[in-house]
Amino acid sequence: MTKSRDRQEDQKQPGHDPSRRKFLKGVGIVGAGAAIADQLWVEAEAEEQRPAPDDIKGRVKVVLDVNGEKRTSQVEPRTTLLNTLRNHLGPAVTGPKLVCDMGTCGACTVLLDGKPVYSCLVLAVDAENKKITTVEGLGSPDKPNAVQAAFVENDALMCGFCTPGFVTTISAYLKKNPNPTLAEVREACKGNFCRCGTYPRVFEAALAAAKASRA
Amino acid sequence: MKAFEWTSPATINEAVKMLTVASPGDIDEAPRPIAGGQDLLTTMKDYTSRPVRLVNLKNIRGLNRITLNAKQLNIGALVTLTELEEHAGVRKSFPGLAEAAHSIATPQIRNLGTVGGNLCQRPRCWYFRLEEVICLKKGGSECYAATGENKYNAIFGGGPSYIVHPSDLAPMLLALGATVTVIGSGGKRVIPLDKFFTLPSEGDIRRENVLKNEDIITEIHVPVSPLAARSTYLKFKERESLDFALASAAVAVQLAPNQTVKDARIVLGGVAPVPWRVPAAEKFLTGKNLTASVLAEVGKIALADAKPLDKNAYKVPLTQTLVRRALAKAGSV
Amino acid sequence: MQQQQPQPQPSPKPKKKIRVPRVVNGVEQMVEIEVDEDTGPGWGPNDKHTLLNHKITRVDGPKKVTGMALYTYDMRLPGMLYGRILRCPHGHARVTKLDTEAASKLPGVKAIIQGPLTELRFAGAPVAAVAATTPEIAGDALRAIKVTYEVLPHVVHATDAIRPDAPKVVAEENNLQEKAKNGDLQKAETAFATADAIVEGEYFSQRVHHACLETHGMVVDYRGGDSASIYASTQGTFTIPGDAAKELGLEQSKVIASVEHMGGGFGSKFGIGIEGMFACRLSKQTKSPVKLMLTRYDEFVMAGNRSGSWQKLKAGVKNDGTIVALTARQYRLGGIGQGSQAGQPYIYRMGDTYREVYALHTNEDSSIAMRAPGHPQASFAIESLVDELAYKIKMDPVAFRKKNLRDEVYHRQLDRGAKEIGWSRRNPVAGGNPGPLKRGMGCAVGTWGGGGNNQCKVDVTILQDGAVYVAVGTQDLGTGTRTYTRAIVAEELGIGMNDVEEHIGNSKLGAANPSGGSTTAPSLSPSVKDAAIKARMMMAERVAPLLGNPKPEEVVFSGGNVSANGRSITWKQAAAALPAAGITSHGVWRADLQARGVHGVSFAEVEVDIETGFIRPIKMVHIQDGGLPLNRLTMESQINGGMIQSLGMAFYEGRVMDAQLGMQLNPGFGDYKLPGSLEMPEMVPIIDDDDKREAVIGIAEGCIIPPLGALVNAVFNATGLRIRDLPITPDKILMGLMNTTVISRG
Repeated sequence: MTKSRDRQEDQKQPGHDPSRRKFLKGVGIVGAGAAIADQLWVEAEAEEQRPAPDDIKGRVKVVLDVNGEKRTSQVEPRTTLLNTLRNHLGPAVTGPKLVCDMGTCGACTVLLDGKPVYSCLVLAVDAENKKITTVEGLGSPDKPNAVQAAFVENDALMCGFCTPGFVTTISAYLKKNPNPTLAEVREACKGNFCRCGTYPRVFEAALAAAKASRA
Repeated sequence: MKAFEWTSPATINEAVKMLTVASPGDIDEAPRPIAGGQDLLTTMKDYTSRPVRLVNLKNIRGLNRITLNAKQLNIGALVTLTELEEHAGVRKSFPGLAEAAHSIATPQIRNLGTVGGNLCQRPRCWYFRLEEVICLKKGGSECYAATGENKYNAIFGGGPSYIVHPSDLAPMLLALGATVTVIGSGGKRVIPLDKFFTLPSEGDIRRENVLKNEDIITEIHVPVSPLAARSTYLKFKERESLDFALASAAVAVQLAPNQTVKDARIVLGGVAPVPWRVPAAEKFLTGKNLTASVLAEVGKIALADAKPLDKNAYKVPLTQTLVRRALAKAGSV
Repeated sequence: MQQQQPQPQPSPKPKKKIRVPRVVNGVEQMVEIEVDEDTGPGWGPNDKHTLLNHKITRVDGPKKVTGMALYTYDMRLPGMLYGRILRCPHGHARVTKLDTEAASKLPGVKAIIQGPLTELRFAGAPVAAVAATTPEIAGDALRAIKVTYEVLPHVVHATDAIRPDAPKVVAEENNLQEKAKNGDLQKAETAFATADAIVEGEYFSQRVHHACLETHGMVVDYRGGDSASIYASTQGTFTIPGDAAKELGLEQSKVIASVEHMGGGFGSKFGIGIEGMFACRLSKQTKSPVKLMLTRYDEFVMAGNRSGSWQKLKAGVKNDGTIVALTARQYRLGGIGQGSQAGQPYIYRMGDTYREVYALHTNEDSSIAMRAPGHPQASFAIESLVDELAYKIKMDPVAFRKKNLRDEVYHRQLDRGAKEIGWSRRNPVAGGNPGPLKRGMGCAVGTWGGGGNNQCKVDVTILQDGAVYVAVGTQDLGTGTRTYTRAIVAEELGIGMNDVEEHIGNSKLGAANPSGGSTTAPSLSPSVKDAAIKARMMMAERVAPLLGNPKPEEVVFSGGNVSANGRSITWKQAAAALPAAGITSHGVWRADLQARGVHGVSFAEVEVDIETGFIRPIKMVHIQDGGLPLNRLTMESQINGGMIQSLGMAFYEGRVMDAQLGMQLNPGFGDYKLPGSLEMPEMVPIIDDDDKREAVIGIAEGCIIPPLGALVNAVFNATGLRIRDLPITPDKILMGLMNTTVISRG
C-alpha cells in the first residue's frame, strides 16, 4: 500500500466528513476538546434513533430506567449493563468506567434500586424494570451531592478514573449509614480500587460528606 | 463472552426444561441457570464457560425468601449474600453463617450474588481461569498446578486436580449440617451438603458437585441447634479488601454445662477441592475443655493429613492457627 | 504563512549553557541547552504567595466527581468501530499461518490486519487486530481467527534464564548481557578485610505493573481525506501526532492529538504504542473512526511493567558505623527489553565500591519506564542491606544512615520522620516484642532529579471583557497540572481561580514536554509564570494612563484590582482598556524558576501476625522537599500516591509467570492484587518547608522510592525475619519462620 495509492483513494471521497466539519465550526482552538465532547453526545443520540444494523443477529430491545429516564436500546443478551450505558445509549452514559471488566475494581459501580453493584457483572437484559443510578444521576458540577462536593474539597481524586465508582458506592452507603466510623467507610468501599493512591482522602471525604449531610 | 440465548422462565419446571438439552455437547457449552451471575459471568468472560443459553431464575417466585422457625432455617437459593448477612435471625442463631456471608468478596458482589450461586462457584485456580490453558478440569490432560505455581492450591484431596473450592458459605453450611433442595428432570430431591460436593477423584472432574446440568438448587436448609448458636467463620485473605480464602475455618461447638465440648464441627475452606471436614479433630475435642493446649493439639490433628505441594506448605501452620483461633472464639461466645 | 517582514535585530541577550533532563519514552536523558543569562522577576519567598503554596482544590474536580469528565475511553463517534488485538498464547513462537477467512465473514467485522512481528518472543505479543461494530463482535472475531504457530522453547524465570543451557530469548545471543563494570574489585576485597562485620544478600524485586485504570489506547478519527483527530490516553500530547501521521499516511500537521483527561500513566504511556499503530491502520483501512483500548488482560501482558531486579550485594562495616566497601552484581530483568536499575550503592557512601551490571533476558514483554524507573529496585536492596548492617553492629538504623549520608537535608528529614512515627517506641531488638502480633518500624531514604527543560510554550490571553485564558498543549495525568497552570496566572494577575480558564491537552496549542521523570511542573510552570508576568506587564502598560502613568512594574495587581499611585480600578475596568482583540503574551521557559534535586525520607510501622503471616500496615510517613510547592493539596495527594504504590510493591503486587506455559498467570485485578481500602495505614504526607528554594521541582518520583525500604525494614524489625524477595506475602513470612530455626536477631 503506497502513499500515492492512498491519496488516490482519498480523492474519491472528497473532503472530510461534513458532520465533523459542522461540529468543529465556530469552536476556537482553545476549548475545542470540551466542545467536541458535548457535540459527540448530540451526534451519538442521533445515531441511536437509527435502527440497529440488521447484520447483527440476536439483538433484543431493552428499556432501561437510567437516572430517572426511560432509555431504549437494541443489544445482544451478552451485552453488559456497563457496555450498554457506554456504547449503546445515546447520549452515552460514561460516568461508570470500564476498567477490569471482571467485578474486581469497582470503577463501573452503579446503583441498582439504590444498591451498589458492578455494572460489568450485570447483563443489560437483566437490568430492565430496575432503577439504575449512575454517578451522573447523583449530582452535576453545578449541583454536586454532598459526597461529590466533599471529594473535590478533600482532593479525594487524582486521575479520576476510579472516582465515579467511589462516589457512587459511598453515596449509597451514607444513605444506609449516615453516621459511619472510619472503619465502616473503609469496609464500605473495599470493593473499589484506586491506582493513583487517593484512599486516605477518599475516607476523609466520605466522613466529611456524612458530617455535612447531618448538619 | 460468547453469544447466547436469554430466557426468563416463570416457573421452575419451565426452567428445568430450558436447561435440558437433547444431545449435550461439551459440558461447558450446555445451558446454565443464572441468578446473581457474579461468578457465572466471570467464567463466561474468560470463556471457561460458553453456554448456548442462560436461564434466568429471578422471575421464578418464592426462591428469594429466608424463613426461620424453631427447628430450621430455610434460605431460598436466590437470597442475596447481603440479605443473608443482614438477617437478624441468622445473625443471632447462626452467627458463623452471617460471618461467612460477610466475608465474601465486596459489598457490590454481595448485593447481587446469591446463596445458591455461591455454592455453585467454579474454581478460582488461575490455570483454570486462563482462556488459553486447557487444564484437567477443562477437559485437558494435565493439572498445571500440580507442579506449577501452586501457592493457592489444595493441601488436601489428593488430586488429580488441585483446585480449592472457593465458597465461603459451603464450609460453614457443612459444619451446620445443612441440606439443599434440588429440582431437576427427575423432580425434587434433598441432598445433605456433605454429599453435595465431589472430589476430582470421585465425581466428574469437570464439575465440583453432584448437580446435573438441568438441576437447580431451590433452597438451603439449616437445622437450628446449639452448635449453630456457637458457630464462627474465620477467613484468611492475603489482601483483606478483596480476596478468596487462602484458608478458612468454619467451626461450631456445643458446650456441656461444665464447659467441656459436647459436640464440635470443624470444616476447612480454601485447602481442598471440597469443603474439608476433619472428623478426627472433632472427635478429639469431645469431652475436653478448650484450653490453650487442647486448641494447639486440635489444630495439629486437623492438619495431620495435609499433603502440601511445592509452594503451599505455609497453609499448614496458617490453617492450624485458624482452627485454633476459631475454636477459641466459638468457645468464648 | 505570513510574509517575513524585515525587522530591526535586537542585540543578542547574554546566554549560558546548562544541562537539563529531557524525557524520552519516560526515561530521563540529560541534554545541554542554552538559556538567557539575565532573568526576570522570580517567584518570591515561598511563604508570600496568595494562591501557590496553598491548598487549592482541583479545577477539574467537579467534572471528575460527576462523571462529566470525558476520557479517551469515553469517546464515541458516529460510525465508530471497536478494535481488539489478538495475542500470542505461547512464550516464544512464530506464526506460520494466519487464517482470517471465518473471522472476516462474521457479521459486524469490518477489518482484520496482521501485526508486524514475525517472531513472537513473549506470551501476549500482538499477532493481529480486528475492528468490528461492537466490542463483543470484535471478541468473536479474534476467536475466529485461526493461527498456526511454530512453538519455540521459552524461558520466563530469571533464575532459569541465566543457566548456560537455557533457551535463548534471541537466537544466537546470550540471555545474559554485560552492561557495565564500575569501580575496583581488588580495592573492595581489600577493604572487606578491614571490616568488623560483613553482610551478604541476594535481593529480588518483582515485576509490578503500572495498572493504569484507563488502559492504553486511543480513538483514531479518520474518515478518509487529509486530516485526522486522535483522542489518546497519553502522558505526552505531542508524542502522538508524528507517529500517528506516519501510520495514517498523513502530514503530521494534519493530525491533531487531544487528551482532555487521562486515567493514569505512571510512565507507561508515551507515543502511540502498538495499540495505536493498530488503531491507525484499522481506521485507515475502514475509513471509520476506531477505538482501540487494550483489555485489562492485554494491559497486563503487553503494556509494559516495572523492570524486575536480582541483586547480589556484599558490604563491610566498621563498628563505628562506617561502611568500608560494597560489591554488587546487578541483574536488570526487563524481559526482552533492557530493564532498568539504578547503580549501587545508590545514594550511600560506601567506601570502596565495585559493581557489575547485566541485562538478563526472559521471554516476557519489555519492561518500560515506571515512576522513578530503576530506583525503587535499587533502593529496596540497598536499604535492606544498610538496615542489616546497622543491626549487625547494633547501631540505631537512623543514626547509621546519618553516618553514611553526607547531605544534611537527609539528616533533618530523618529526625523529623523519626519524631512523626514515634521511633522512640520502637523495640531495637528485631522480633523482640511479645505475643503473636508483632509491631515493627523501619526507615529509608531516596532522591530524584525533578528538574525541567525548555520545551513548554505558553500563551496567556486577556480579553477586553476581563476573561483570561492560559493555553498550552500539556496534559494532566491527575497530578494537578490544570490547577497550578491556572493558579500561577491567577496569582500573577491578582485575580481569583475562577477568573482564569486553562486550555490544555491539545497538540494545536503551545508545545509542551511529555510528562515523565517529574519534569512537568519544573518545565511547565516557569513558562506559565513567564507568560503571566509578560501579560501583566502588557496590561500594566495599557492601563497606566488610567492610573497616573506609573511605570509598568509599579502597577499592583491584587485582590481583583489594579492599582498605582493611590488609584485603583477593578479588573474589569482595567481589561476594558485593552485593544478590541485583547492581548496575548507568549511565555518561554526560565531556568531560574526551577531547580533540580529532591530528598525524601520514609518511615513505616507494621504489625505482623507471626501465626498467619499477615502484615498490617499501621502507619506511613513520608517527608518530601520540592522547592516551591505549587499546590499543597495536590502535592500531598501525590506523596500519598507514592507511598501507596510503594506499599503495593512491598506487600501485594507482582506478576506471576508459569515456567512451563511461559504465560502470566495473573493478568487481572483478581489475582494481581492492588492494595485497597482495608490495606491502607494511617498516612502522613509531609511537605518539607525547611526547603527554602524559590524554585519549582518535580516530586512525583521522589515519593515512590523510599517507602518500600521503610516497609521492608519494618517487617524485619517486627519479626526478625529478613525477606529479600518482593512482595512480602504471608506465605513468605510463614515459610521463613518455618525454615528459620533460630531467627536472626539484632
